[in-house]
Amino acid sequence: MRRSAILAAFTALGIAAAAPALAQGGQMTLQAYAGIFRDNYTEVVVNPFTARSGTQVQYFDGGTSAQMLGRLRAQKADPQTDVVIMDVTTAAVACAEGLVERIDASTLPVIGQLGEMAREAGGACGPAVTYDHLVMVYDTRAVQPAPTRWAAMWDPAQRGRVAVSAPPNIQGLALTAILAKAASGDWRNINAAMPRLRELAPNVQTFTPNPDGYTLILNDQVRFATGWNARAQLYSDQSQGRIGVVLPEEGTAFQINTINVVANAKNRAQALAFVAHALSAEAQKAFTERMFYGPTNPNAQVSQAALNRTALAPQFRERIVGVNWDEMVRLRESWNQRWRREVIAASGR
Amino acid sequence: MNAALLLLPAVLILAAGFLYPVALLGRISLNRTSDIGAMEPDLTLATFEKVVGDDFTWELAWNTATLAAGSALAATALALPVVLLIRAAPPRWRGLLSLMAIAPLLVSGTARIVGWLAILGDQGLINAALEGLGLATEPLRLINNLTGVRIGLTESLMPYACLVLIAGLGRLDPRLEEAAATLGATRTKTFLRVTLPLAAPALLAAFLLTFVLGVSAFITPRLMGGGRVFVIATEIFDLALETVDWPAAAALAMLLLGALAVALVLRTALTRSARA
Repeated sequence: MRRSAILAAFTALGIAAAAPALAQGGQMTLQAYAGIFRDNYTEVVVNPFTARSGTQVQYFDGGTSAQMLGRLRAQKADPQTDVVIMDVTTAAVACAEGLVERIDASTLPVIGQLGEMAREAGGACGPAVTYDHLVMVYDTRAVQPAPTRWAAMWDPAQRGRVAVSAPPNIQGLALTAILAKAASGDWRNINAAMPRLRELAPNVQTFTPNPDGYTLILNDQVRFATGWNARAQLYSDQSQGRIGVVLPEEGTAFQINTINVVANAKNRAQALAFVAHALSAEAQKAFTERMFYGPTNPNAQVSQAALNRTALAPQFRERIVGVNWDEMVRLRESWNQRWRREVIAASGR
Repeated sequence: MNAALLLLPAVLILAAGFLYPVALLGRISLNRTSDIGAMEPDLTLATFEKVVGDDFTWELAWNTATLAAGSALAATALALPVVLLIRAAPPRWRGLLSLMAIAPLLVSGTARIVGWLAILGDQGLINAALEGLGLATEPLRLINNLTGVRIGLTESLMPYACLVLIAGLGRLDPRLEEAAATLGATRTKTFLRVTLPLAAPALLAAFLLTFVLGVSAFITPRLMGGGRVFVIATEIFDLALETVDWPAAAALAMLLLGALAVALVLRTALTRSARA
């Protein structure tokens, strides 16, 4: 009797571990970005999951990745969320601090379907769930013909009409890496990027675009800005093409979001099932076609029209600068200081 | 005993809302940060040593102090004529005028800055007017730099200066000024020799209060500085929410808190000696 009870318990545990997607009903909390990310992710990823599994998903607006990390730290003893989607550099911190679970294909078979970069992005913890990339956005009414290169922002005619997010913001770090790669072949070589950044400085109106570069363009404050592709594509559509989006010839760099199960999550089975769903080809296809984040599951059969608006389109792949964000985090402080002393100080506004 | 009991609710609120968070901040400042940004529990002063030993911290301190001092001085100087006008107004108007002077406090700081952006921006009201009148071909750079932050901070501090001066100057005996006038002093001489010396303690109190508020100001330098104005508050924000280096952010916050405590002690001492 006792032996059979133990056997039954082990069998149940084995099923739960091997097939988390079978979890049905219950509830869980997802912590991720607010705004248009929330609206679209809820519609094409969360709602279909709920319909299929019966699991109610509470979407908690996490703010920035750093704010989400802060919440995970504060709730370490009593987590209030089960799944978190955050930037890869912040997720690495969460992973190192044991705030999220270590996870691999033995726990979630769908991880085995992902591309190598997606699996490696999260290290021992959750894998990449979306790819985004740095783009140049511009005012299509004021800038003609349509620019194709970052160099357009250096045009003296654009003095005071450019918005660039400076480090420690990762847009500034990515731009530096792209310029370094274009000038020297090595994205780490900041010395190669600095002369170009100093030349750009007088054109920059703000190094902290508020609320963001897209809004500044729509308000006629600037003509060029750095941005992230997914949001830029959506704003371009919403503004009837007023905002132009360019993946410049000099290159781009990925911004990667990873998906993680929170350590000691109260609804772990539902959390694992949700992660499996979010990484599935079906959910990846739906979200790419809705918001133009690059899919991390190569099995996602994304329409050609949507794929062409991501950096994963064949014509753009050679432009991707392979920035290693683990390395970048270690370089960040010195790059930040060099921007302050050599770029921002040279902007002379 | 009864007095101590009456104080208990305030002490509990202070402990929960201020002392506990500050203690927590102090504890975090004693942790370490790994090279990837992970916070490692520890009991070390290494982060303080790193922060204090960094030249940039001292540059931030200088920027913060000079910005706050300049803005506090300007806010106090601009508030003085406003308060003198209120004092000289018929009694039935004083309440309304006082309310108008401090009305900006009723509007969120962020909303006021959005207003400044519309006025001072490269395509804002002032530049549009200058270009329209043919007085300028290039926009004046009034925002996204130190000038913009000075303007915004001065405006945001003025209501506080008005509050202090209304209270301080309201206690001045108008008969002293009347006596000076009776003895033949001109209005300017009366102001310089009677009103101003009597208002000195209130002016000092207004300056010190606005200075302390200016030192900890974050929204104005962040939103009006265009990333060109580095002060301690913006650095704490970047450390906490961009690079997630909480120990460094906490250490810098503790140092700022210490400096503000010193400033408040100085303010109390100076106000007392001025009164004496």
